[in-house]
Amino acid sequence: MTTATYQVDTRAPRPVRRPRRRSVWAEMRHRWADYMYVLPALAVMMAVIAYPIYYTVFLSFFKTPPSLAMDDKIFVGFENYGRILTNDSFWSTTWNTLIWTFFSTFFAYVLGFGAALVINREFIGRGIARGILLIPYVISAVAAAYVWRWIYHSDFGVLGALLTQLGLADGPVVLLDSVDRVLTALIVVNVWKEFPFAMIMMLAGLQTVPDQLHRAARVDGASAWQRFWHITVPHLKGVTLITVLLLMVTNLGSAFTIPWIMTGGGPVGASHIWITQIYEIAFGRIRFGIASAYSVILFIAIMSLGVVYVRALTGGDERRRQE
Amino acid sequence: MTAIAENQADVRRESRAPRRSFGHWGLVGWVYLVALLLFAILPMIWMVLTSVKGQFSALQYPPQWIPQNPTLEEYRRLLSPNNDVGQEFIGYLLNSIWVSTATTVLGLLVAVPAAYAFSRFRFPGRQFLFYAVLLRNMFPAVVFLMPLFIMMRWFGLVNTQWSLILTYLTFGLPLSIWLLKGFYDNIPVELERAARIDGASRFKAFVLVVMPLSTPGIIATAIYSFILAWNEYVYALTFVNSKSKLTLPVGLERFFTEYATNWPGLMAASFIMSVPVVVLFLVLQKYFVRALTEGAVKT
Repeated sequence: MTTATYQVDTRAPRPVRRPRRRSVWAEMRHRWADYMYVLPALAVMMAVIAYPIYYTVFLSFFKTPPSLAMDDKIFVGFENYGRILTNDSFWSTTWNTLIWTFFSTFFAYVLGFGAALVINREFIGRGIARGILLIPYVISAVAAAYVWRWIYHSDFGVLGALLTQLGLADGPVVLLDSVDRVLTALIVVNVWKEFPFAMIMMLAGLQTVPDQLHRAARVDGASAWQRFWHITVPHLKGVTLITVLLLMVTNLGSAFTIPWIMTGGGPVGASHIWITQIYEIAFGRIRFGIASAYSVILFIAIMSLGVVYVRALTGGDERRRQE
Repeated sequence: MTAIAENQADVRRESRAPRRSFGHWGLVGWVYLVALLLFAILPMIWMVLTSVKGQFSALQYPPQWIPQNPTLEEYRRLLSPNNDVGQEFIGYLLNSIWVSTATTVLGLLVAVPAAYAFSRFRFPGRQFLFYAVLLRNMFPAVVFLMPLFIMMRWFGLVNTQWSLILTYLTFGLPLSIWLLKGFYDNIPVELERAARIDGASRFKAFVLVVMPLSTPGIIATAIYSFILAWNEYVYALTFVNSKSKLTLPVGLERFFTEYATNWPGLMAASFIMSVPVVVLFLVLQKYFVRALTEGAVKT
């Protein structure tokens, strides 16, 4: 190695020519092979995203016959929207949707965050505890809905029996058939189903909090509460934002199975939320036009949430790039 | 060797130790944990307890907390092809297995290359396309039900299991791609560079070097899309009508309406439906939790 001779280049350094920035089109043509990898995914997504969205908006301006052949539909402009917005049941359903979304999200997040905090400590049986806490999340919503329906059963439900034996209630406890209690009962089930999701998200977030900060703060005499509030909480801002948004979007637009199987919107519409109402209009009464208009309203609500969501995601990306 | 290992274990323990702050906060934590565990598991326990009761003893008031004459009768009935109920149930079970498996295999074929490209290549519009794919999760299923239903009618797919497979494929894709991308991001690019220098094509480097390394990711993703398809309800409820083609979640409803009072039977069926999912998930918990949260934490 030491005997190797090095040839010294004595020529004047060549001016460094920056590679000319190619135009986007040239770049795309140059990298055409890259697109082949994502093409199948994109094709599938486009076929079932772009077109359905277009078609829903399109259909929302038509009066459709109560048959599945969409042949003789009549253009009615914004009439469908008008009919929805002037209907009293729309506003009670909207109110239900707000309550459902807010409380489901709030309690799922709070319970899940609490669970993440206790699970984050080391103790024997931690893995088992985490596994048990995750069960509600992985189990089929259908199975969950039936089990809870059985637990809530007015005559033979175990919850009613338990409350009676503890002296907290006398006589049968009516939950799903009571106009006043049905929504609360459903929210409990929904929280049960969703809190593990918040837990795993927050758990992952907690594991990114550097131990050194905690130790340093301890040396400086910070109490457990102060450390939690000034170190843990600020670190979890990003994860919290994403978790809460995902929960809200799910509750607003996808948490259909539990309310549908447990009550189907009843009794007398007391537990209808937007999604169950849309489903009933579309496939119960076969009114695709109105249901489409309703979907567009839901869609706008979710998209406004989505903007925040994507911003949260991309904002995080930029932060990472700067690090 | 062992000394080093112990030493390392010590170091690790030490670095985790500060979390253990007991006192009254610790006590509150334990009480909370136990309460939450009960909340999570008691409904499942009640499901199992009910499923081993006779139809008569399930309808007692106050209920038998512990079944007095536990019987596996309902399970036997559901799983033996010698009676009508069993035949129907096994049919649903097989349908579910077929739909979920097909969804998983097709989904991987599409998601693996896409995730790899999003992780490695720098083509224009990459970010936009990635978020566009992810956005699918923002859209409520209900919005897609009607147009997809009409589209399926055009293609003559209504009341076939292909309508379900295609639909599940699309809503499983976004998260599958996200999960897989997380795994690919963690595989050092140097390995592929080395393979390229040795003369492998880009595709070959991907298949021979990256694919084997990402097996855990692929398994986790496969399980994820399997569970998703296995549990799906809304589309199955809407797109498929004939009894012979129903999947389990919707089949269960038939079961419920036809045998309205048979709660133990319904609980047994729910239990059978839940077992594969829970077992799969718990066994692969580690991969799954990591993959699911990776994106959220890193971004």
